Amino acid sequence: MAYGFEAKNDNGKVIINDTIENLHFIGKATRGSNNSDYGDFPGYGGGNDSLDGRVIHYYTITCSGTPVAFIKPSDYSRWHGIIKQSVSGTTWSFDVMVSGTSTSNPPDIYCFVNADDIPVPSGETYGMQVFKSDGTTKTFDSRRQPLAITGGGTAPAPPSDPTNSSGLPGVSSGHSWNYSSNDHDFRSSNRYNATSDSAANTTNAMFACSSLAQAVYKRQQHGYKESCSGCFPFIGCINCQDHHSTAAWWVMYRQAFRLRSGNFDSGWTGYAAGYSFSSSFESGGWFGGGGGSYSTGSMPYTAKTINLQSNAFIIADSSRYN
Amino acid sequence: MSYGLSVFKTDGSLGFSTADITWQTLDQFTVAANASASNTYNEASGMDIIVQRQLVNVPPNSQEDYVPNVSISGTTVSVSPQSGLSSSQCIIHVLTRDS
Repeated sequence: MAYGFEAKNDNGKVIINDTIENLHFIGKATRGSNNSDYGDFPGYGGGNDSLDGRVIHYYTITCSGTPVAFIKPSDYSRWHGIIKQSVSGTTWSFDVMVSGTSTSNPPDIYCFVNADDIPVPSGETYGMQVFKSDGTTKTFDSRRQPLAITGGGTAPAPPSDPTNSSGLPGVSSGHSWNYSSNDHDFRSSNRYNATSDSAANTTNAMFACSSLAQAVYKRQQHGYKESCSGCFPFIGCINCQDHHSTAAWWVMYRQAFRLRSGNFDSGWTGYAAGYSFSSSFESGGWFGGGGGSYSTGSMPYTAKTINLQSNAFIIADSSRYN
Repeated sequence: MSYGLSVFKTDGSLGFSTADITWQTLDQFTVAANASASNTYNEASGMDIIVQRQLVNVPPNSQEDYVPNVSISGTTVSVSPQSGLSSSQCIIHVLTRDS
């Protein structure tokens, strides 16, 4: 270049220049309320009732630029994902999903914005700034700590089937009337794809990678019996009634990530779940009428996996920004 | 170190130096639902480019939210809905690193 500023690192790679902006740390997002649920199927208490559970922690931060958010887990054994990011004015909100139902040990959210968007620290009149050739757009400001990364790459999509049981859950008939016993393990603890990365650790590593993939799956069981007042030789059965029942379990999943020593895992965590049961027969009353039903929640869409795509991830050392 | 650049925090500890690696920001923008975008970043010629996508305002328990596809060709980044599907609003972070 004929003029300007450029700094290369020890490997000869540009890390500061006057054409591209560096990201700088502006602070940790403020944690607000949380919502914990779905450690099991609501309203159901039979087999395979357990789910992974999830906690949604709500965070906000105010800044003029679009922040790149890093998740620093407090409990590295749990799965994490930013499932929603929105802005109102200059206040950014993050919904961060964590597996399990314990609200203790929430993650920290470290936020970085472009050099030109960082607030000027008051009273700090020294340091180094780098501007683009327009003379006004800042690419670097030593008064806010620049992002240094330790690892990253391309995180693969999670496995298409988010459920621990072999095969996807489906619909089966031929069960006895009022049968309701879930035979599918809807948990996701074994369902992930790992990426080897030496920067991944369980002490101070943090990562930036948003949740893209979603899935919904359902197990449904149909029961039936015929009941007659009596059956007689040469006449046959009389006053026969058909009895039908349907039991269904569904779970919605969102992509989530986990840092292990030497690995970055792309997997799943259950976001919402429901259980429904209905029973009926032709006349008379069950639940005081011709049948009865029970339902929690509504399945958001028909069973499928969507957004099964890779996404870039970055790992950094959170201890540099404390 | 005997040469290079070190940037120190106000407390005197090292904050950043030429021993570090980083990703810089080429661009950040939001793609509206069902919209497409394509931008060329000549300043990143010869550098690695990655793109991070973050869905915006997703009501995650009520609808199918399709993330838009991203393709990178040289220094051009293109964003478009998945074939035959309605994409949701999405934040795009375009990052680059000297390769």
